[in-house]
Amino acid sequence: MTQILQIITGCLGSAGFALLYNIRGKRFVFAALGGLLATLFYILFGLFMENEILNYFICAVLASLYAEIMARILKTPTTTFIITSLIPLIPGGSLYYTMTGAFSGDFEYFVSKGLYTLGLAGALAAGIIVVVSIVKIVVRKR
Amino acid sequence: MEKSLEIIMDISEQMLLSGAEISRIEESILRLGEALGAKRTDAFIITSNMEVSLHDENGVSYTQTRRVPNVGTDIEKLHRLNALIRKICYGTITHEEIEKELKKIKASRAYSFGIILLAYALIAGAFTLFFGGSILEAVCSAVISLVLALIVKGAELAALNKIFSKFFCSFASALLAFVCLKLGIVATVDHIIIGNIMLIIPGVGLTVAIRDLFVGDNLSGALRSIEVVLFAFAIAGGYFLAAGLMGGVAI
Repeated sequence: MTQILQIITGCLGSAGFALLYNIRGKRFVFAALGGLLATLFYILFGLFMENEILNYFICAVLASLYAEIMARILKTPTTTFIITSLIPLIPGGSLYYTMTGAFSGDFEYFVSKGLYTLGLAGALAAGIIVVVSIVKIVVRKR
Repeated sequence: MEKSLEIIMDISEQMLLSGAEISRIEESILRLGEALGAKRTDAFIITSNMEVSLHDENGVSYTQTRRVPNVGTDIEKLHRLNALIRKICYGTITHEEIEKELKKIKASRAYSFGIILLAYALIAGAFTLFFGGSILEAVCSAVISLVLALIVKGAELAALNKIFSKFFCSFASALLAFVCLKLGIVATVDHIIIGNIMLIIPGVGLTVAIRDLFVGDNLSGALRSIEVVLFAFAIAGGYFLAAGLMGGVAI
Protein backbone atom coordinates (compact mmCIF):
# COMPACT_ATOMS: atom_id res chain seq x y z
CA MET A 1 0.00 0.00 0.00
CA THR A 2 2.77 2.43 0.98
CA GLN A 3 4.54 1.56 -2.26
CA ILE A 4 1.47 2.28 -4.40
CA LEU A 5 1.03 5.60 -2.61
CA GLN A 6 4.69 6.42 -3.30
CA ILE A 7 4.34 5.63 -7.00
CA ILE A 8 1.27 7.86 -7.27
CA THR A 9 2.75 10.75 -5.28
CA GLY A 10 6.07 10.48 -7.12
CA CYS A 11 4.15 10.88 -10.38
CA LEU A 12 2.14 13.82 -8.97
CA GLY A 13 5.32 15.51 -7.75
CA SER A 14 6.88 15.25 -11.20
CA ALA A 15 3.65 16.57 -12.74
CA GLY A 16 3.79 19.55 -10.38
CA PHE A 17 7.33 20.36 -11.46
CA ALA A 18 6.33 19.93 -15.10
CA LEU A 19 3.78 22.70 -14.50
CA LEU A 20 6.40 24.94 -12.84
CA TYR A 21 8.80 24.47 -15.75
CA ASN A 22 6.09 25.22 -18.29
CA ILE A 23 5.97 21.82 -19.95
CA ARG A 24 2.81 21.44 -22.02
CA GLY A 25 0.66 18.97 -23.92
CA LYS A 26 2.00 15.53 -24.79
CA ARG A 27 5.35 16.37 -23.21
CA PHE A 28 3.62 17.09 -19.88
CA VAL A 29 2.12 13.59 -19.83
CA PHE A 30 5.46 11.90 -20.55
CA ALA A 31 7.28 14.09 -18.02
CA ALA A 32 4.87 12.97 -15.29
CA LEU A 33 5.16 9.38 -16.52
CA GLY A 34 8.94 9.68 -16.08
CA GLY A 35 8.44 10.43 -12.39
CA LEU A 36 6.15 7.44 -12.08
CA LEU A 37 8.67 5.12 -13.76
CA ALA A 38 11.58 6.39 -11.66
CA THR A 39 9.65 5.70 -8.45
CA LEU A 40 8.51 2.32 -9.77
CA PHE A 41 12.10 1.25 -10.58
CA TYR A 42 13.28 2.52 -7.20
CA ILE A 43 10.69 0.46 -5.35
CA LEU A 44 11.15 -2.66 -7.53
CA PHE A 45 14.94 -2.73 -7.13
CA GLY A 46 14.55 -1.85 -3.45
CA LEU A 47 12.77 -5.19 -2.96
CA PHE A 48 15.91 -7.22 -3.55
CA MET A 49 18.72 -4.68 -3.20
CA GLU A 50 19.98 -3.62 0.20
CA ASN A 51 22.32 -0.93 -1.12
CA GLU A 52 20.25 2.18 -1.65
CA ILE A 53 23.07 4.13 -3.28
CA LEU A 54 23.47 1.45 -5.96
CA ASN A 55 19.70 1.45 -6.38
CA TYR A 56 19.79 5.23 -6.94
CA PHE A 57 22.51 4.83 -9.55
CA ILE A 58 20.55 2.22 -11.53
CA CYS A 59 17.35 4.26 -11.33
CA ALA A 60 19.20 7.37 -12.51
CA VAL A 61 20.59 5.45 -15.50
CA LEU A 62 17.14 4.10 -16.41
CA ALA A 63 15.44 7.48 -15.94
CA SER A 64 18.10 9.22 -18.07
CA LEU A 65 17.71 6.59 -20.77
CA TYR A 66 13.96 7.14 -20.71
CA ALA A 67 14.60 10.90 -21.02
CA GLU A 68 16.96 10.50 -23.99
CA ILE A 69 14.58 8.15 -25.80
CA MET A 70 11.47 10.28 -25.21
CA ALA A 71 13.35 13.43 -26.25
CA ARG A 72 14.21 11.81 -29.57
CA ILE A 73 10.71 10.49 -30.17
CA LEU A 74 9.03 13.80 -29.32
CA LYS A 75 11.81 15.89 -30.96
CA THR A 76 12.44 18.11 -27.94
CA PRO A 77 15.42 18.89 -25.66
CA THR A 78 16.41 16.06 -23.30
CA THR A 79 16.34 18.45 -20.33
CA THR A 80 12.53 18.30 -20.42
CA PHE A 81 12.41 14.71 -19.24
CA ILE A 82 15.64 14.51 -17.23
CA ILE A 83 14.73 17.24 -14.77
CA THR A 84 11.19 15.93 -14.25
CA SER A 85 11.87 12.17 -14.19
CA LEU A 86 14.58 12.43 -11.54
CA ILE A 87 12.50 14.61 -9.19
CA PRO A 88 11.24 11.74 -6.95
CA LEU A 89 14.84 10.55 -6.51
CA ILE A 90 16.15 13.88 -5.23
CA PRO A 91 17.24 13.20 -1.64
CA GLY A 92 15.14 15.90 0.06
CA GLY A 93 14.38 13.63 3.00
CA SER A 94 17.95 12.77 3.89
CA LEU A 95 19.04 16.39 3.34
CA TYR A 96 16.47 17.38 5.96
CA TYR A 97 17.65 14.76 8.46
CA THR A 98 21.23 15.97 7.89
CA MET A 99 20.11 19.47 8.86
CA THR A 100 18.32 18.27 11.99
CA GLY A 101 21.49 16.40 12.98
CA ALA A 102 23.55 19.55 12.56
CA PHE A 103 20.99 21.61 14.47
CA SER A 104 20.67 19.30 17.44
CA GLY A 105 24.45 18.94 17.69
CA ASP A 106 24.37 15.19 17.17
CA PHE A 107 27.64 15.02 15.30
CA GLU A 108 27.62 11.33 14.46
CA TYR A 109 24.09 11.46 13.11
CA PHE A 110 24.95 14.60 11.12
CA VAL A 111 28.03 13.08 9.51
CA SER A 112 26.44 9.73 8.70
CA LYS A 113 23.31 11.36 7.22
CA GLY A 114 25.40 13.98 5.43
CA LEU A 115 27.65 11.40 3.78
CA TYR A 116 24.61 9.34 2.91
CA THR A 117 22.97 12.37 1.22
CA LEU A 118 26.17 13.07 -0.69
CA GLY A 119 26.28 9.42 -1.71
CA LEU A 120 22.74 9.56 -3.07
CA ALA A 121 23.39 12.82 -4.95
CA GLY A 122 26.63 11.37 -6.29
CA ALA A 123 24.84 8.22 -7.45
CA LEU A 124 22.25 10.34 -9.28
CA ALA A 125 25.03 12.36 -10.87
CA ALA A 126 26.96 9.25 -11.90
CA GLY A 127 23.83 7.74 -13.46
CA ILE A 128 23.20 10.86 -15.53
CA ILE A 129 26.86 11.05 -16.56
CA VAL A 130 26.97 7.45 -17.79
CA VAL A 131 23.99 7.97 -20.07
CA VAL A 132 25.13 11.41 -21.30
CA SER A 133 28.57 10.05 -22.18
CA ILE A 134 27.26 6.97 -23.99
CA VAL A 135 24.67 8.96 -25.93
CA LYS A 136 27.34 11.45 -26.95
CA ILE A 137 29.55 8.69 -28.36
CA VAL A 138 26.68 6.97 -30.18
CA VAL A 139 25.31 10.19 -31.70
CA ARG A 140 28.74 11.32 -32.89
CA LYS A 141 29.42 7.97 -34.59
CA ARG A 142 26.37 8.31 -36.83
CA MET B 1 25.68 38.87 -42.12
CA GLU B 2 24.93 41.43 -39.40
CA LYS B 3 21.28 40.45 -39.62
CA SER B 4 22.20 36.76 -39.27
CA LEU B 5 24.32 37.50 -36.22
CA GLU B 6 21.45 39.42 -34.66
CA ILE B 7 19.12 36.47 -35.22
CA ILE B 8 21.62 33.99 -33.78
CA MET B 9 22.19 36.18 -30.72
CA ASP B 10 18.44 36.56 -30.15
CA ILE B 11 17.79 32.84 -30.39
CA SER B 12 20.68 31.81 -28.17
CA GLU B 13 19.88 34.48 -25.60
CA GLN B 14 16.35 33.12 -25.34
CA MET B 15 17.75 29.58 -24.99
CA LEU B 16 20.04 30.64 -22.17
CA LEU B 17 17.18 32.47 -20.45
CA SER B 18 15.02 29.34 -20.69
CA GLY B 19 17.61 27.21 -18.93
CA ALA B 20 19.19 25.22 -21.80
CA GLU B 21 22.50 23.45 -21.22
CA ILE B 22 25.53 25.34 -22.50
CA SER B 23 26.60 22.56 -24.86
CA ARG B 24 23.18 22.61 -26.54
CA ILE B 25 23.36 26.38 -27.06
CA GLU B 26 26.89 26.35 -28.49
CA GLU B 27 26.03 23.48 -30.81
CA SER B 28 22.93 25.32 -32.01
CA ILE B 29 24.95 28.48 -32.68
CA LEU B 30 27.47 26.57 -34.80
CA ARG B 31 24.67 24.96 -36.81
CA LEU B 32 22.83 28.26 -37.21
CA GLY B 33 26.01 30.01 -38.33
CA GLU B 34 26.53 27.41 -41.03
CA ALA B 35 22.88 27.53 -42.11
CA LEU B 36 22.91 31.32 -42.33
CA GLY B 37 26.00 31.43 -44.53
CA ALA B 38 28.95 32.09 -42.23
CA LYS B 39 32.32 30.71 -43.30
CA ARG B 40 33.36 30.18 -39.72
CA THR B 41 31.45 30.50 -36.45
CA ASP B 42 32.91 30.89 -32.96
CA ALA B 43 30.84 30.79 -29.80
CA PHE B 44 31.73 31.09 -26.15
CA ILE B 45 28.87 30.86 -23.69
CA ILE B 46 28.79 30.78 -19.92
CA THR B 47 25.74 30.97 -17.69
CA SER B 48 25.62 34.78 -17.66
CA ASN B 49 27.47 35.90 -20.81
CA MET B 50 27.53 35.13 -24.53
CA GLU B 51 30.10 35.89 -27.21
CA VAL B 52 29.57 34.96 -30.85
CA SER B 53 31.67 35.76 -33.95
CA LEU B 54 30.72 35.11 -37.55
CA HIS B 55 33.23 35.30 -40.42
CA ASP B 56 32.00 35.84 -43.97
CA GLU B 57 33.70 34.68 -47.17
CA ASN B 58 35.53 38.04 -47.59
CA GLY B 59 37.33 37.55 -44.31
CA VAL B 60 35.29 40.19 -42.48
CA SER B 61 34.22 39.16 -39.00
CA TYR B 62 31.25 40.27 -36.94
CA THR B 63 31.14 39.91 -33.16
CA GLN B 64 28.52 40.49 -30.51
CA THR B 65 28.60 40.08 -26.76
CA ARG B 66 25.57 39.92 -24.52
CA ARG B 67 25.21 39.84 -20.76
CA VAL B 68 22.36 37.57 -19.73
CA PRO B 69 20.97 37.93 -16.21
CA ASN B 70 18.42 35.78 -14.38
CA VAL B 71 18.45 32.39 -15.99
CA GLY B 72 15.18 30.55 -15.39
CA THR B 73 13.53 27.35 -16.62
CA ASP B 74 10.93 27.50 -19.37
CA ILE B 75 10.76 24.22 -21.24
CA GLU B 76 7.93 25.24 -23.58
CA LYS B 77 10.04 28.12 -24.90
CA LEU B 78 13.02 25.81 -25.26
CA HIS B 79 10.94 23.34 -27.25
CA ARG B 80 9.72 26.04 -29.65
CA LEU B 81 13.22 27.50 -30.07
CA ASN B 82 14.46 24.01 -30.83
CA ALA B 83 11.81 23.59 -33.53
CA LEU B 84 12.69 27.00 -34.99
CA ILE B 85 16.40 26.12 -35.14
CA ARG B 86 15.57 22.87 -36.90
CA LYS B 87 13.53 24.79 -39.49
CA ILE B 88 16.36 27.31 -40.05
CA CYS B 89 18.89 24.51 -40.53
CA TYR B 90 16.67 22.87 -43.16
CA GLY B 91 16.68 26.26 -44.89
CA THR B 92 12.94 26.39 -45.41
CA ILE B 93 12.36 29.76 -43.72
CA THR B 94 13.12 33.41 -44.62
CA HIS B 95 14.69 36.03 -42.34
CA GLU B 96 11.35 37.82 -41.93
CA GLU B 97 9.61 34.61 -40.94
CA ILE B 98 12.36 33.83 -38.42
CA GLU B 99 11.94 37.23 -36.79
CA LYS B 100 8.18 36.88 -36.68
CA GLU B 101 8.41 33.42 -35.10
CA LEU B 102 11.02 34.64 -32.61
CA LYS B 103 8.78 37.51 -31.58
CA LYS B 104 5.97 35.03 -30.99
CA ILE B 105 8.24 32.80 -28.89
CA LYS B 106 9.46 35.75 -26.82
CA ALA B 107 5.87 36.76 -26.09
CA SER B 108 4.82 33.21 -25.12
CA ARG B 109 3.69 33.08 -21.54
CA ALA B 110 4.15 30.63 -18.71
CA TYR B 111 1.21 29.05 -16.88
CA SER B 112 -0.95 31.53 -14.94
CA PHE B 113 -0.16 32.25 -11.29
CA GLY B 114 -3.22 30.24 -10.23
CA ILE B 115 -1.78 27.11 -11.85
CA ILE B 116 1.64 27.82 -10.34
CA LEU B 117 -0.01 27.95 -6.89
CA LEU B 118 -1.72 24.65 -7.64
CA ALA B 119 1.62 23.14 -8.73
CA TYR B 120 3.29 24.25 -5.47
CA ALA B 121 0.50 22.74 -3.37
CA LEU B 122 0.57 19.55 -5.44
CA ILE B 123 4.36 19.13 -5.13
CA ALA B 124 4.55 19.84 -1.38
CA GLY B 125 1.50 17.71 -0.59
CA ALA B 126 2.62 14.82 -2.79
CA PHE B 127 6.14 14.67 -1.35
CA THR B 128 4.91 14.92 2.24
CA LEU B 129 2.94 11.72 1.53
CA PHE B 130 5.86 10.25 -0.46
CA PHE B 131 8.21 10.56 2.52
CA GLY B 132 5.72 8.95 4.89
CA GLY B 133 3.54 11.81 6.11
CA SER B 134 -0.19 11.56 6.92
CA ILE B 135 -3.01 13.16 4.91
CA LEU B 136 -3.34 15.91 7.53
CA GLU B 137 0.39 16.68 7.29
CA ALA B 138 0.09 16.78 3.50
CA VAL B 139 -2.70 19.36 3.76
CA CYS B 140 -0.63 21.54 6.13
CA SER B 141 2.33 21.17 3.79
CA ALA B 142 0.24 22.21 0.76
CA VAL B 143 -1.05 25.31 2.56
CA ILE B 144 2.48 26.31 3.65
CA SER B 145 3.73 25.85 0.07
CA LEU B 146 1.32 28.59 -1.05
CA VAL B 147 3.25 31.00 1.17
CA LEU B 148 6.47 29.84 -0.53
CA ALA B 149 4.93 30.57 -3.93
CA LEU B 150 4.17 34.10 -2.78
CA ILE B 151 7.72 34.55 -1.43
CA VAL B 152 9.24 33.35 -4.72
CA LYS B 153 6.94 35.65 -6.70
CA GLY B 154 7.74 38.57 -4.39
CA ALA B 155 11.47 37.89 -4.63
CA GLU B 156 11.20 37.88 -8.43
CA LEU B 157 9.34 41.18 -8.47
CA ALA B 158 11.86 42.75 -6.06
CA ALA B 159 14.74 41.29 -8.15
CA LEU B 160 16.05 39.71 -4.96
CA ASN B 161 19.11 37.47 -5.01
CA LYS B 162 18.07 33.83 -5.53
CA ILE B 163 20.10 32.72 -2.50
CA PHE B 164 18.10 35.03 -0.23
CA SER B 165 14.90 33.83 -1.81
CA LYS B 166 15.81 30.20 -0.99
CA PHE B 167 16.79 31.26 2.54
CA PHE B 168 13.44 32.97 3.16
CA CYS B 169 11.52 30.03 1.65
CA SER B 170 13.31 27.55 3.89
CA PHE B 171 12.84 29.82 6.92
CA ALA B 172 9.12 30.34 6.26
CA SER B 173 8.37 26.66 5.63
CA ALA B 174 10.18 25.52 8.78
CA LEU B 175 8.66 28.32 10.88
CA LEU B 176 5.11 27.59 9.72
CA ALA B 177 5.63 23.86 10.23
CA PHE B 178 6.70 24.55 13.84
CA VAL B 179 3.61 26.75 14.24
CA CYS B 180 1.44 23.80 13.12
CA LEU B 181 3.25 21.66 15.71
CA LYS B 182 2.76 24.22 18.50
CA LEU B 183 -0.93 24.54 17.65
CA GLY B 184 -1.20 20.80 18.04
CA ILE B 185 -2.39 20.16 14.47
CA VAL B 186 0.42 17.69 13.74
CA ALA B 187 2.69 15.52 15.87
CA THR B 188 5.97 16.11 13.99
CA VAL B 189 7.31 18.76 11.62
CA ASP B 190 9.58 16.41 9.64
CA HIS B 191 7.31 15.43 6.77
CA ILE B 192 5.88 18.91 6.31
CA ILE B 193 9.33 20.46 6.03
CA ILE B 194 10.58 17.72 3.70
CA GLY B 195 7.60 18.25 1.38
CA ASN B 196 8.44 21.94 1.16
CA ILE B 197 12.18 21.36 0.89
CA MET B 198 11.53 19.39 -2.29
CA LEU B 199 10.20 22.65 -3.73
CA ILE B 200 13.28 24.71 -2.95
CA ILE B 201 16.01 22.08 -3.30
CA PRO B 202 18.05 22.85 -6.44
CA GLY B 203 17.39 19.56 -8.23
CA VAL B 204 17.36 21.05 -11.72
CA GLY B 205 20.47 23.09 -11.00
CA LEU B 206 22.26 19.92 -9.92
CA THR B 207 21.33 17.86 -12.97
CA VAL B 208 22.12 20.66 -15.44
CA ALA B 209 25.40 21.39 -13.64
CA ILE B 210 26.43 17.74 -13.94
CA ARG B 211 25.50 17.56 -17.60
CA ASP B 212 27.48 20.75 -18.30
CA LEU B 213 30.52 19.45 -16.43
CA PHE B 214 30.60 16.13 -18.23
CA VAL B 215 30.08 17.27 -21.78
CA GLY B 216 33.10 19.56 -21.44
CA ASP B 217 31.66 22.91 -20.30
CA ASN B 218 33.74 22.98 -17.14
CA LEU B 219 33.34 26.66 -16.44
CA SER B 220 29.54 26.73 -16.60
CA GLY B 221 29.33 23.41 -14.78
CA ALA B 222 31.53 24.78 -11.99
CA LEU B 223 29.52 28.01 -11.75
CA ARG B 224 26.27 26.08 -11.53
CA SER B 225 27.71 23.63 -8.98
CA ILE B 226 28.78 26.51 -6.73
CA GLU B 227 25.29 27.91 -7.00
CA VAL B 228 23.81 24.56 -5.96
CA VAL B 229 26.08 24.38 -2.90
CA LEU B 230 25.20 27.95 -1.89
CA PHE B 231 21.50 27.14 -2.24
CA ALA B 232 21.93 24.11 0.02
CA PHE B 233 23.61 26.31 2.66
CA ALA B 234 20.84 28.91 2.33
CA ILE B 235 18.22 26.19 2.89
CA ALA B 236 20.06 24.90 5.96
CA GLY B 237 20.46 28.48 7.27
CA GLY B 238 16.74 29.19 6.93
CA TYR B 239 15.88 26.00 8.77
CA PHE B 240 18.38 26.74 11.56
CA LEU B 241 16.97 30.20 12.15
CA ALA B 242 13.39 28.93 12.30
CA ALA B 243 14.23 25.95 14.51
CA GLY B 244 16.27 28.21 16.80
CA LEU B 245 13.46 30.75 17.10
CA MET B 246 10.88 28.10 17.87
CA GLY B 247 13.20 26.32 20.29
CA GLY B 248 12.47 23.09 18.49
CA VAL B 249 14.77 20.11 18.51
CA ALA B 250 13.44 18.12 15.63
CA ILE B 251 14.69 14.60 16.11
